[in-house]
Amino acid sequence: MNREPVTDSAINQARGMVYQLLSSLFAKEVDHQLLHELTSEQAQGFWAQLASESAFKADVDTLVSVLSELKSDKALLELAADYCGLFLVGTKHSASPYASLYLEDAEGGSTDEPTLFGEQHQLMLQFLKQSQLQVQSSFPEPADHLAVILAYAAHLCNTADEAAQLEFIESYLNNWVGNFAAKVTQCDSGQFYSALTRLTQSWIQAEVTGLRAEQ
Amino acid sequence: MKWFINIWRTLNKPAKFLTLGTVSLSAFLMGIIFWGGFNTALEMTNTEEFCISCHSMESKPYQELQETVHWSNHSGVRATCPDCHVPHNWSRKIGRKIEASHDMWGWLLQTVNTSEKFEAKRLEMASREWKRFDRDNSLACKNCHNYDSMKWDSMSKLAQKQMKRAAELDQSCIDCHKGIAHKLPDMGTSRAPELIAQVGSGESAPQAEQTYFTALTKPLFYNDKTDVEAGTLNIATKVKVLESKGNRVKIGIDGWRKKIGAGRVIYYDFGLNILSAQLTKDAALEEGVIETFEEKEDPMTGLKWQRVEAQIWTDKDYLVTDLQPLWDYARDTYTTSCSVCHTQPDEAHFDANTWPGMFQGMIAFVNMDQDTQALVQKYLQEHSSTFDKSAH
Amino acid sequence: MNRRDFLKGLVSTSYVVLSGASVLAPLNALAASGAKSKDGWLTTGSHFGAFKMKRKNGVIDQVKPFDLDKYPTDMINGIKGLVYNPSRVRYPMVRLDFLLKGHKSDTTQRGDFRFVRVTWDKALHLLKDSLDEVQSKYGPSGLHAGQTGWRATGQLHSSTSHMQRAIGMHGNFVKKVGDYSTGAGQTILPYILGSTEVYAQGTSWPLILEESNTIILWSNDPYKNLQVGWNAETHESFAYLAQLKEKVKQGKIRVISIDPVVTKTQKYLGCEQLYVNPQTDVALMLGIAHEMVTKKLHDEKFIEGYSLGFDRFLPYLMGESDGVAKTPEWASEITGVSPEIIRDLAKVMTKGRTQMMMGWCIQRQQHGEQPYWMAAVLATMIGQIGLPGGGISYGHHYSSIGVPSSGAAAPGAFPRNLDEDQKPLFDSNDFKGASSTIPVARWIDAIMEPGKTIDANGSKVTYPDIKMMVFSGNNPWNHHQDRNKMKQAFQKLECVVTIDMNWTATCRFSDIVLPACTTFERNDIDVYGSYANRGILAMQKMVEPLFESLSDFEIFTRFAAVMGKEKEYTRGMTEKDWLIKLYDDCKAANAGKFDMPDFESFWKEGYVHFGEGKPWTRHAAFRDDPEINPLGTPSGLIEIFSRKIAQFGYDDCPGHPTWMEKLERSHGGPGSEKFPVWMQSCHPDKRLHSQMCESKEYRETYTVQGREPVYLSPVDAKKRGIKDGDIVRVFNERGQLLAGAVVSDSFPQGVIRIHEGAWYGPVGEDGSKEGGAEIGALCSYGDPNTLTQDIGTSKLAQACSAYTCLVEFEKYQGKVPEVSSFNGPVETQI
Repeated sequence: MNREPVTDSAINQARGMVYQLLSSLFAKEVDHQLLHELTSEQAQGFWAQLASESAFKADVDTLVSVLSELKSDKALLELAADYCGLFLVGTKHSASPYASLYLEDAEGGSTDEPTLFGEQHQLMLQFLKQSQLQVQSSFPEPADHLAVILAYAAHLCNTADEAAQLEFIESYLNNWVGNFAAKVTQCDSGQFYSALTRLTQSWIQAEVTGLRAEQ
Repeated sequence: MKWFINIWRTLNKPAKFLTLGTVSLSAFLMGIIFWGGFNTALEMTNTEEFCISCHSMESKPYQELQETVHWSNHSGVRATCPDCHVPHNWSRKIGRKIEASHDMWGWLLQTVNTSEKFEAKRLEMASREWKRFDRDNSLACKNCHNYDSMKWDSMSKLAQKQMKRAAELDQSCIDCHKGIAHKLPDMGTSRAPELIAQVGSGESAPQAEQTYFTALTKPLFYNDKTDVEAGTLNIATKVKVLESKGNRVKIGIDGWRKKIGAGRVIYYDFGLNILSAQLTKDAALEEGVIETFEEKEDPMTGLKWQRVEAQIWTDKDYLVTDLQPLWDYARDTYTTSCSVCHTQPDEAHFDANTWPGMFQGMIAFVNMDQDTQALVQKYLQEHSSTFDKSAH
Repeated sequence: MNRRDFLKGLVSTSYVVLSGASVLAPLNALAASGAKSKDGWLTTGSHFGAFKMKRKNGVIDQVKPFDLDKYPTDMINGIKGLVYNPSRVRYPMVRLDFLLKGHKSDTTQRGDFRFVRVTWDKALHLLKDSLDEVQSKYGPSGLHAGQTGWRATGQLHSSTSHMQRAIGMHGNFVKKVGDYSTGAGQTILPYILGSTEVYAQGTSWPLILEESNTIILWSNDPYKNLQVGWNAETHESFAYLAQLKEKVKQGKIRVISIDPVVTKTQKYLGCEQLYVNPQTDVALMLGIAHEMVTKKLHDEKFIEGYSLGFDRFLPYLMGESDGVAKTPEWASEITGVSPEIIRDLAKVMTKGRTQMMMGWCIQRQQHGEQPYWMAAVLATMIGQIGLPGGGISYGHHYSSIGVPSSGAAAPGAFPRNLDEDQKPLFDSNDFKGASSTIPVARWIDAIMEPGKTIDANGSKVTYPDIKMMVFSGNNPWNHHQDRNKMKQAFQKLECVVTIDMNWTATCRFSDIVLPACTTFERNDIDVYGSYANRGILAMQKMVEPLFESLSDFEIFTRFAAVMGKEKEYTRGMTEKDWLIKLYDDCKAANAGKFDMPDFESFWKEGYVHFGEGKPWTRHAAFRDDPEINPLGTPSGLIEIFSRKIAQFGYDDCPGHPTWMEKLERSHGGPGSEKFPVWMQSCHPDKRLHSQMCESKEYRETYTVQGREPVYLSPVDAKKRGIKDGDIVRVFNERGQLLAGAVVSDSFPQGVIRIHEGAWYGPVGEDGSKEGGAEIGALCSYGDPNTLTQDIGTSKLAQACSAYTCLVEFEKYQGKVPEVSSFNGPVETQI
């Protein structure tokens, strides 16, 4: 264990890592390699630390327990089917992870489903461009996909001041992740992704609270 | 204007001693010798600059060439005018120069000095070049492109098939590759060029008592001389040559006709609407053209049919000995053209008398000239369930 | 815990971040400069019309009509929604149970299941493995890859050509003959008029406008149906319809629409309507014919010179053969048209020049061959076939038929068939005694009853034992009849593969689903103006393929690579090479006739215009000289009596046109006591079949409470306590659906309309989200084929009979389910 004094930048790096982890879990299905990394000894320590915060505990426990049960290809495929049903097809009966779907809901209160690659996608593209970033070509999703927004938040943790981080998280995550989490919980036929989404929601709430306090 | 009319008169006077060609030849030769020596002239007239010094050459063929692969390609080899249009062999070259001196008159008389005039003459001029290529067996092409050095493997299967067949016959390149260096002329009059490229234009001298098949739909005539048409002979029809005179042959067509109207239409067999020939009303009634035999009623229509043999004249071109290449071409065309919108039905899916209705009712989107349409329809009929009982 | 302490703790766990790459990457120079796809206007086209599109920030921003399209349809407003709608198939997917158990999977799950994403490589290998399994176990009769449909426009990426060439390189398969639109018509008419007629160019509108005194639109709604075309449509017909409207107004042409409903065309033209009871048109035609004979109004000379068999039809008409004279009074009983009107019609039709224009709907019913045959007989009796502005046509409502053809050659297409010397991997042609080609609409019967032999068009068809289906750009879960029967049949299939751009119901009932990009995400070439062939259109790629979708060319080139046949498949040419080849071949075919620039100039300009063709009269050559220009019938003449059909000996299609009662018929016919209402499921006004239904914003311009509209009469609505805008349950013994009521005077009592092409969205019988896969499920959106009958028209054509369909409806009182059609597969929680 590292005994040196913990610097702000190390803390930001750690926060960025959490965003990055969440991003990765929303970006694709859990495969063997990811499973291996998520259940490694190092990861166990990480999960335990995450679970030390009471707001996160229940969901982290669920994640860890589901992961520990993924012993066969079939189990992984079942989890992949959960992922697919939630995030890769349709919207109404599933929970596509695009900000535009939930923001519009929140604002207009309408049940209209906007088309894909709309305004939110363009907005995120602008952010990325300002930061000299783009979405990986191997990830052919609209830029308002949760994984992209979380990855961008990770990037901000390491490059922007806290005020800017707070502004982004408040305006582009915190305002819709709640609706999203509710939808995932409603549609998920397993437990993993509802727990993951709730954890994401709690994490973002904690972040917002924490960053506000530090202003 | 007067000088022009005089020249015109001179040209139109019947030549008593010298043909126009020799007049122009001598004038041309004298001109160039006077100009600075024969060889220099020959060299000079063999350059691209010389060719395009005439406006009509520069504005049309030369511009068109620049858009083709013969002008610009990965290997950087460029074909210039003389490479294709002047024979490389000396005596042929001189012959060509003499021929080309005609063009001086064209220039003088401004035969093709506008785009419209050029286009009007394009086919004539191109045909002259094609004939020359044919005579040389496309030697000018073969100076660069050699059948023996072709890499078959890098060609598509279809290209291989066509090229190998051509190589075996040492076929003239221009037979198939027309319009590759300049714009293809309006071929309104030349029919089914691809078909003819594949099946050939027939025997040069069809033999009496031999059977042949028509490679195109052909006009029929009363005798060996007249231009008065007596009807048409359908494509892919079997005929027997009875005698040969000049450019015409007298042929015999066996078949059946319906006893309705004037009985002008001869079909392939009893009860089958597979067209062999159509005669004009006069020809059908002309003594000695149609000999009639037994009659039968077709139970499918209630119409009376009669067996007939017709004897009539046609041009001797486009009579081929082998039917199979025609069917091969038809099958290719059918499978390619008729599958653009939907799966084409198997040939044997319908019978011979149902195919015309199906085929005619689907043809609106299909690009086929009249000859090819007639050929494909006949192909389908003769390969229908009427003949191929293996269907279903 | 203090936040900082908590975060410090996180740092101390020093968990190394995952090895997987981030979804973000440094901006690359190329993308930054926007060089990949510059913003601006581009040209493309679709069945709905040719148009221009503006690209902004890499997405489609605006759509406007093509300059030369003077009558664009508002359907082009739905184009953006086709591309960016949430129903897009985003990745290759496989039904989980199929992935786990392959051909032994639980097929009752189909339509209500769990999918997983797989890589393209995995998906294409699975496809190959499935084909291997079927070919080696069952041979070619186990595979049906011949159900094909309207695809999207474009000659290079034609989805059916690509699929059939690629699958054909693997092995042989069962194919179809005929189509759903015109199955009965295209089978009967070659025997009668010597061509399919339905797909033949018709007499040019300018001649009709000049020469016709009367135009009969028989069950025909051209103003609705001409909006879409087989190729990129440019709507020239509408200029002629506008002129016709003017002539109707001036009293110069009388147009009579014979139809149970007031059509869109009738409203536009301001013309007359003659109401007729549904499915009774043959009786009406017989009544008219009887009157013509009685009053000697028919053209005996024409009948004598140009037709065969009138003498054998006459005894039936006059009642000598069956004791029933087909008098106007007799017809009146059946058709609901008064004898006076029938008598008057006989007079009107035989006075002056009369052009009959038949629609396709009336041949999509039981005995659908008969109205087309009898109409041809009427036209023969009138004696104007082959005259400009007279005679009969069967396609003036379709794909610009009637607009003079330019005569130019259109571009060819990527080959559908194998090249001549190519052999499939599995080259067996052993169909085990079954037929290799089956009538298009009988495939579900084949799956249900393999080995059964039926009559079809003079021969016997034995149903193959189909184990696997491959569909591409085709949605039979729209166009086939009787959903619940389809569900049963699909449970018998081992493997279903669908390639499409959006989650159609067909995708949802599949095991392997592969994402194709839309027409607007690839380069292609097409003719515009359909039958008029007005020019060649550059279909320029608007945006890169979304998600992991690929062009049809790319999908099947990759599949060919899996078979080790990539070069054979593409002939060693790239997409660009093919595009140029198709253009250059077309240019060569038009050489000397139509000037076409080189490819680069064409692509830059966006189109080559051929101009207008010369007016032309259908059957004029035949009329001029029937001996030299015979029809394609067995006799070469119009066959009023067909000995050929008669000798087939079919009870449901005898030797001359005959009135036969239907299995189900409203207005007093069989079955109407229980289900009194006739449902027509005609081609939609705002879609091309099921294409464009998924375009959400546009769909909402016509839906009612999010459902497909059901049009019904005020009388029927009142009787059932239904108000405009209510949700209605429509049902019969075959199924049930929900639709949104549109109460309209245009519809008579006892007739409702639901346009076909409404996406199937099954939910539980009680309206709950689950249970969509079950037999008897409720369609939450309003697909009329939930209710239609899956029977052949007759032993002749064995074609689709969707119009022989009775239903009942009521105001829906149950729990209103969400529409489940447009959101991909719905997963049931177990």
